[in-house]
Amino acid sequence: MAAALAPRLLEALGPDAVRVDPEDLAVYGFDAYSESVLPTAAVVPRDAREVAIAVRIAGECGEPVVPRGAGTGLCGGAVPTRGGLVISFARMNRILELDAANRRARVQPGLINLDLSRAAAPHGVFYAPDPSSQKISTIGGNVGTNAGGPHCLSYGTTTNHVLGVEFVDGAGELHRTSIDDPGYDLTGLLVGSEGTLGVVTAVDVRLLRLPEAVRVCVAAFADVEAASEAVSAIIGAGIVPTALEIMDALITRAVEAHYHAGYPENAGAVLLVELAGAPDDVAAGEHVLAGIAREHGALSWRAARDAAERDALWAARKGAAGAIGRIAPNYYIQDACVPRTRLPEVMHAIDAIARDHRLPVGNVFHAGDGNLHPLLIFDRREKRQVQAVVDAGTAILETCIAMGGTISGEHGIGHEKRETLSLVFSADDLAAMARVRDVFDPARRFNPDKIFPSGAMCGEVGARPAVRGA
Amino acid sequence: MIVRKRRKPSYALGELAPARTVEPEDAAAAALALSDAARAGEAVVAHGGGTLQQSANAPARYDVALLTRRLDALHAYDPRDLTAGAGAGITLDALRRALEEHRQFVPFDAPRPADATLGGTLAAGFAGPRRLTYGRPRDLLIGATVALADGTLASSGGMVVKNVTGYDMGKLYVGSHGTLGVLVRANLKVLPAPAARRLAISPFDPDLRARVVAHARARLIEPTALLVIDGFPGAASDAPRDRRPRVVALFEGSESAVERAMRAYRSALGAAGVGATRVLDDAAAGDAFQSVLDAYVEHAGKASMTFVARGLPASAAERADGAIALGAMFRATHAAAGYGIDVIADLRTGDVVARFASSGFDANRAAEFVEAAAMIRETLGPAQRLAAHPAVAGLVDAWGEPPATLAAMRALKERFDPKGVLAPGRFVGGI
Repeated sequence: MAAALAPRLLEALGPDAVRVDPEDLAVYGFDAYSESVLPTAAVVPRDAREVAIAVRIAGECGEPVVPRGAGTGLCGGAVPTRGGLVISFARMNRILELDAANRRARVQPGLINLDLSRAAAPHGVFYAPDPSSQKISTIGGNVGTNAGGPHCLSYGTTTNHVLGVEFVDGAGELHRTSIDDPGYDLTGLLVGSEGTLGVVTAVDVRLLRLPEAVRVCVAAFADVEAASEAVSAIIGAGIVPTALEIMDALITRAVEAHYHAGYPENAGAVLLVELAGAPDDVAAGEHVLAGIAREHGALSWRAARDAAERDALWAARKGAAGAIGRIAPNYYIQDACVPRTRLPEVMHAIDAIARDHRLPVGNVFHAGDGNLHPLLIFDRREKRQVQAVVDAGTAILETCIAMGGTISGEHGIGHEKRETLSLVFSADDLAAMARVRDVFDPARRFNPDKIFPSGAMCGEVGARPAVRGA
Repeated sequence: MIVRKRRKPSYALGELAPARTVEPEDAAAAALALSDAARAGEAVVAHGGGTLQQSANAPARYDVALLTRRLDALHAYDPRDLTAGAGAGITLDALRRALEEHRQFVPFDAPRPADATLGGTLAAGFAGPRRLTYGRPRDLLIGATVALADGTLASSGGMVVKNVTGYDMGKLYVGSHGTLGVLVRANLKVLPAPAARRLAISPFDPDLRARVVAHARARLIEPTALLVIDGFPGAASDAPRDRRPRVVALFEGSESAVERAMRAYRSALGAAGVGATRVLDDAAAGDAFQSVLDAYVEHAGKASMTFVARGLPASAAERADGAIALGAMFRATHAAAGYGIDVIADLRTGDVVARFASSGFDANRAAEFVEAAAMIRETLGPAQRLAAHPAVAGLVDAWGEPPATLAAMRALKERFDPKGVLAPGRFVGGI
């Protein structure tokens, strides 16, 4: 059957839209997490109709379908695990409609996240979810993982900004959903389903009005725990700025070496705060936040002078992972979320775990949301270190779960964390989710081997230990 | 668990009353009640405060009323986390009181919060005027536990504000009217309460409408809610019986931001020559706004039916004028026959709420109600019923034309409730 896939796709869509040579397929076999097996074929469709044709042919050939945005995912969500078809949205990257008056847009899934806000800005509106990868990641990929970003603290994640989608089902039929439709919220199910329920071919998004005033401030602290205490206190005081980000010393130094954005290089930790809204509110908010920060040990507090400095601070923050790449042979970035009051405690625990495993750790994270991103630094040529990273990563997730948190805040489960999912959810919880999968993808051809633990589909969830003790 | 024989048909829906009620004391008991009913083939309808029961169809079969009122605990609320977890049966007022103490709130726009429950509000999925500022119920739910027809309890999400761990099942349950399972516990994102609130009520005037819309576009004001109300006496009106068309603007935020918006709003009023504006502060503003939400489910006359059309993709100006025109059109054709119409146009969200009422009701009038509903749906597009007198509720499908994705919805129902015991027939397309 697999042999039939490529010729049938070529016949239906032509050589311009279909890739079958191994050297062409190599780019579809990896994402930011891992390399995996190559697909049998890849298509680069020009429109939804071609996506539907490709999905239908894959179905008739019994082949899996893996949708792919920019491949920036950190959990193996976009890589094939058993050949089949990869659908790349590289050519479906247009804004179909921008309706600034009603604050909405209709876009193709391959549109780069930042391109949407850039196109919307002259109309006084923007698209709020801003993952650090926004210069290259796509709206479709963001929809798949329900991507977040620093500004989700006050604006919410991707799912809060998607008004509807167009998607292709397993039979190759096109459907359109809207959160205003009567009936079950299919839009809400599809967002964050990591391509396991259908292939999204268009997205209706909500746009927000650009804030009148924006202020970005930087505070220096002695260490991450002190900065975390300040964040917990700010949230506890009932103040929700637009962003509250922490970088530890290791990350700050790496970022400054690369970007020279003006972060205090000698600080043990840096808190990046953004306030947005009416000018008076922003000014008053800064006053209150600076006070709370000082009470919790802030060594300095400084506001960016102008938009250029503000942009530079943000560019550096969002480029942190890349900057680490310059000083570390390899790194593994973890994603977990805890209740905000547990931040200081969990940061302390992560530090201890890293020391136990003799791994350097950097922390750059969405502190206001309790969304952690410890970066474990290692050298993949050292076998001991590779095992230590796996063990430390697991220990961190277990710690977060024990604190009432969860194992992914914004990157998704993908292939990487599928076995860990049963640490968070019971067999009954997973069975309810599997019912949704049964409806949309009974044959398990949409992005197989993702999200669900390997035993989950045959009724043996929980029968096997998903993660070895660290 | 208390199992009580029915004494009075207070949980009746349409022409059916349940043979018995159950009042589970915890989540496990709720799950057990469902599996018992499923085994016996009994149809179950969950009841919270009953405030939005008319927004779904009457059930096709109905044996057991599952009352969630004992599931009313506030399980987990640490104000420093800005999250709260509570049982489905807690009333919105009780929840509000607990949060108010810490100057926090959950911005549900729900009618009759003294009766409305958390579970019922989520199950009905009702999203009101403030949703562009604060989000819809679907956006506020971060974790859910649901009792399923097979007697299992299924949780999803958690107690964190960012979460992509497994499917976002909460989205599926919100607005599902208990047709897939019974929500027993919900975790919510809570927000700092706005420090100040003002509500301005002015007589409707097309010039005022135009200026307010222009002001909003020029960023001078961003009301939390901006409504044109025609009729609905008692809903932010000057006197209980006052039906005159009016513009209602709600401003929430910091004291300085609200003051600044009010100055700009007053200048729009002045420029339009509208003098007679009443401005209410804080608690009074909140009460007046609540009176509008309450009106969404209030009955009128001897028989009435209320519909909401969502998010009309027209300009704010067209929405307001369209709503006023709709009212005028109905009055011109129906007033003499003892019919009335009330309309609310939400200039921010594009929702239009329309209530058709008659001063008397008999069998002959049934056809007129069917016609009126059709006319409302023809004028406004797909509109969901929000409320109806029992006498007329059965005349018109609560949901109107089902969406093109109905087949997937039917398949979900079949997979979650294969025996069809959960609120059968209440949902879209007969689900």
